[in-house]
Amino acid sequence: MSDRGSASAEGSARLADEEPLSPQEALAIVADQQHAVDRSLQVNVALMHGVIGAAWLIGFGVAYLAFGPGKADPAVAWTAAAVIAVANAIAAAAGLGQTMRRGRGIEGRSWDAMRMYLWAWPVAFAGGYAADAGLQYQGLPERLVPLLWPGTAAGVCGLMYLAGGLFFRDKIHYALGAWILLVTAASMFAGVPGNFAVLALAGSAGFLVATWRYARIRKQARD
Amino acid sequence: MSAEDLLPGLDPVIHAQPRLRITIVLAAIGEDDKMTFPRLQELTGMTAGNLATHLRKLEDAGYVAVTKSFRRRSPVTYLALTRPGRRALEDYTAALQRLLAVPGSGPNGSGPNGAPDSDPP
Repeated sequence: MSDRGSASAEGSARLADEEPLSPQEALAIVADQQHAVDRSLQVNVALMHGVIGAAWLIGFGVAYLAFGPGKADPAVAWTAAAVIAVANAIAAAAGLGQTMRRGRGIEGRSWDAMRMYLWAWPVAFAGGYAADAGLQYQGLPERLVPLLWPGTAAGVCGLMYLAGGLFFRDKIHYALGAWILLVTAASMFAGVPGNFAVLALAGSAGFLVATWRYARIRKQARD
Repeated sequence: MSAEDLLPGLDPVIHAQPRLRITIVLAAIGEDDKMTFPRLQELTGMTAGNLATHLRKLEDAGYVAVTKSFRRRSPVTYLALTRPGRRALEDYTAALQRLLAVPGSGPNGSGPNGAPDSDPP
């Protein structure tokens, strides 16, 4: 092991730290090291879901107010779109950044799959939005545009969560994906501006429930 | 008195603070994954020499697999817990919990390694 350096003499001396441990001491070491590993390797999923849930509530909520009955303020609508885009980008970048940082020095099939899954998000969004742009180019009626783009974002999100649930064998993730798809369908039937209200309230509620569940699991693991 | 004499049933290869920490860290990554030496050092908080020495013991016991390769022309050492290593850690923590569940001798004369009285037969 070339990178173990020339410290083997030091290492031999350190075998002295093989003092017999009591079961209590051993268990304390297990708990301490496990806690350190969790902190260093685990992504704070609860926090990510909380951020996305807040983004949906604020972003789609502002969009609802902008497109509310009898008014359509383009400035407010753009602000809402920017809030959603920025908040989702922050959450995605935070998730990607956390995962990359925590995956430093680790290689193998499961980490490769994790990285591929994370990169699938921007790819899926890009594909969905490109299809929307194509529809508009083909002459989609303008009144349907505020229905299509948020619906695409939510639908892609739901499908990615469903895939993530399968991939991670995570029932919370899977259930959230199914819920988001249901909410997306409901938002389409609600029409404009009701679609924004459905996405803001029912969509963010799903994320907030997931946040609560993940936070509880995290707390139980710490205890 | 060795660790094994003091607590029979606990794997002496794992029953030492540094090796216990190493196996816990390596068990936290997937079975098909491996970790570089510097990252393992960072996560265990051990010096390079100390880590290398204890890794050698774990490798000799067949609990850790060491692979070497090159990344951008630099040598990299990867460590992974083997299947027997993973099993050994699971057995070790289970034995530890049994020991703590039955402090001292039980009413039926079961020793410190005996199963808790409430355990199913």
